[in-house]
Amino acid sequence: MADAITVTKVFDLKGLACPMPVVKVSKGIKEVQVGEVIEAHTTDPGALTDFPAWANTSGNKIVKTDQDGDVIKFYIERVV
Amino acid sequence: MDEKTRDDLLQLFRSKFNRAMRFYLESCTRCGTCTDACHVYASTGQTKYIAAYRHELIRRLYKRYFKARGHLWPSLGEARELTDATIEELYEAAYSCTGCRRCMVYCPFGIDTQMLMSIAKLLLIGKGAEPEILTLLADTSIEKGKSMELFKEGFLTGIKRLEAEVVKQWQTEAGEAAIPVDVEGADLLYVALAGAHSIIPAAAVFNAAGEKWTLSFFEAVNFGAFVGDPSKTKLILDRIVNEAKRLKVKEVCVCECGTAYRVMKYLSGSQPFKVTSITEAHARYLKEGRIRLDKTKFPGPITYHDPCQIARNAGVIDEARYIIGHLTDDFREMTTDARYNWCCGGGGGLVALGDETLDFRMKSSRVKVDQVKATGATILSTACENCHTQLSNLNDHYKMEVDVQFLSSMVARALVPA
Amino acid sequence: MQTVYYIILVPMVYLAFGVFIVGIIARIAKIWREPPNPTPLLIHPVKKPGWLWTLTDTFLFPTVRRHKPVLWVFLMAFHICLLLLLIGHLELLADFALFQVIPHEIFLGNGFVGLILAICLLYFLFRRFVSPVKDLSVPEDYYLLILLFLVVIFGSEMDWARSWYEYGEMTVEDYRSYLLSLLVFKPELPYSTTFSGHSFMLILHVFFANLFLMFFPFSQLMHAILSLPMNKLRRG
Repeated sequence: MADAITVTKVFDLKGLACPMPVVKVSKGIKEVQVGEVIEAHTTDPGALTDFPAWANTSGNKIVKTDQDGDVIKFYIERVV
Repeated sequence: MDEKTRDDLLQLFRSKFNRAMRFYLESCTRCGTCTDACHVYASTGQTKYIAAYRHELIRRLYKRYFKARGHLWPSLGEARELTDATIEELYEAAYSCTGCRRCMVYCPFGIDTQMLMSIAKLLLIGKGAEPEILTLLADTSIEKGKSMELFKEGFLTGIKRLEAEVVKQWQTEAGEAAIPVDVEGADLLYVALAGAHSIIPAAAVFNAAGEKWTLSFFEAVNFGAFVGDPSKTKLILDRIVNEAKRLKVKEVCVCECGTAYRVMKYLSGSQPFKVTSITEAHARYLKEGRIRLDKTKFPGPITYHDPCQIARNAGVIDEARYIIGHLTDDFREMTTDARYNWCCGGGGGLVALGDETLDFRMKSSRVKVDQVKATGATILSTACENCHTQLSNLNDHYKMEVDVQFLSSMVARALVPA
Repeated sequence: MQTVYYIILVPMVYLAFGVFIVGIIARIAKIWREPPNPTPLLIHPVKKPGWLWTLTDTFLFPTVRRHKPVLWVFLMAFHICLLLLLIGHLELLADFALFQVIPHEIFLGNGFVGLILAICLLYFLFRRFVSPVKDLSVPEDYYLLILLFLVVIFGSEMDWARSWYEYGEMTVEDYRSYLLSLLVFKPELPYSTTFSGHSFMLILHVFFANLFLMFFPFSQLMHAILSLPMNKLRRG
């Protein structure tokens, strides 16, 4: 499944203070075209709830969530 | 701007009226006592940043649309039409004001500029001209409240990983429940921020003090308040109020976030629980002998930045000094009077706007830097996420060479094992 | 010309006081009908007792003293003289034993109250021509100061003439009979008030005072009344 995702841009949001992860992701998503996917790396537990809630609000789609040790990787598709 | 839009906006304007707001709109004599109050004016010298100038923008609209003189003789008070150009001016005034209310200390009448700016912020929302990121963040918070069940699992997974860290660092006896969540009948509900730095040290101190606590699902920060949307502010607040009532806690303890604390303390209404800041909780544990701190942990002089929304605007002042008294013998005050502390320059949503406002935040806070430098302290502590971010930015930009620290983290690191 | 004098000295005075009183009541009623602010608006730390600090803030302007000491001196002088002036005018209506605790001649202050007021007003006016206060001021601020200056200067001239130059054509008794006649709604103008050499001072004084009173309820002058409740909000 992971192979099927083509990531256009990667954002390193590790260690950022609230609410920067969401701010950066919502800005970052505008840097790619609709249908493209960005990858966001975060270490904050809040992001695990913030990102899905943000996706619901903004209308974008989290296609996959990966855990890599301490780092959580979100794959987000720009829908709107 | 078409007629319909203007009418809608004026309706919003009217919705902000109450007794205090009318006082503030009617009485300014433009005496100029407030000129030196604003850190932005003090740092840049631009007239548009004087408190009275900011709220005269609101007053000009008020005179035009809500007073007969605006029709009879508008030029008398320079009454102004509401146009797209006015909206731009309002943006400039509202989003360069951090809502610190330092000018209220100067004004002979005590006019509250932050409150008058809330009219500007609401008009901006009505026009769709507010910083959209703040609205997005507010909506995200509300969405979390609505669909809590959906996000619960992700949250718990994250917390589990933090627990391991708490146990590792503090060898807490609480074991697996180092970070209790969703505990009905707990004494204290702790409302943190999304970051680990807001949860891990707090957990260590609560556990050391033997507090029967539980962590909130929600983050404390209220983006509704930043963007100035009263209904969203209420929705975001209600998530926590409802959780506290469901868990039947006696106390809601708000993390180091100025806006969250002030909103929680003053807007939650009469509730079966009391609202405290984590600073108050820590001071209480120290007073009651429930925790002890090691004074050798932080060598070097320490100063403390009073977050405006926690100190001047909500009264938590002595508690921070009491805590620092247990951390060092070399405490350096920034001002002799807490009311006159300079704002860090990051409030009112400016820090949340990130890089967009960075240049302005640095230019407008020169006076804060001078104040910090004058203390000669090597550790700059504070108790607000916003202030911490802004002070760290200032530290980098102006090469202040201080160590910017959260007071709660310092308490956690200096804990003496029981 | 006598008709104009009459209009200014009688009907216009009634109109002015009518607008002043009804205007203030209406404006205050409108403000008080609004709901209170949902949250406290205190500035911390709160000093006890709150009411005492509220009174201090309202009547002694400590924040101005701290930040603009020169302005404070003029403000205090101005407001104290304003109070003395009010007493002086009341004494033109009747004798008050209370005010004669310190024995003095009517009109109070031997001319100096008006002089100080005029100087203060000029200071307030001229500081509005200098930045940054200039940038904050709106036309209303200048008009009000000029208007008040005119009221004070013509009022004082009458006083100065009597106190310093022994001018005797218009006496305290003349003012008193004029004012009392207005008060009991049987207006009468003593001959000297409209036919003496200094009549024009009285006419102009009353004319500008009328304008001032009529503008009062609709301007920033409402700070005179609202300062107390506003300071209460800040002090608790």
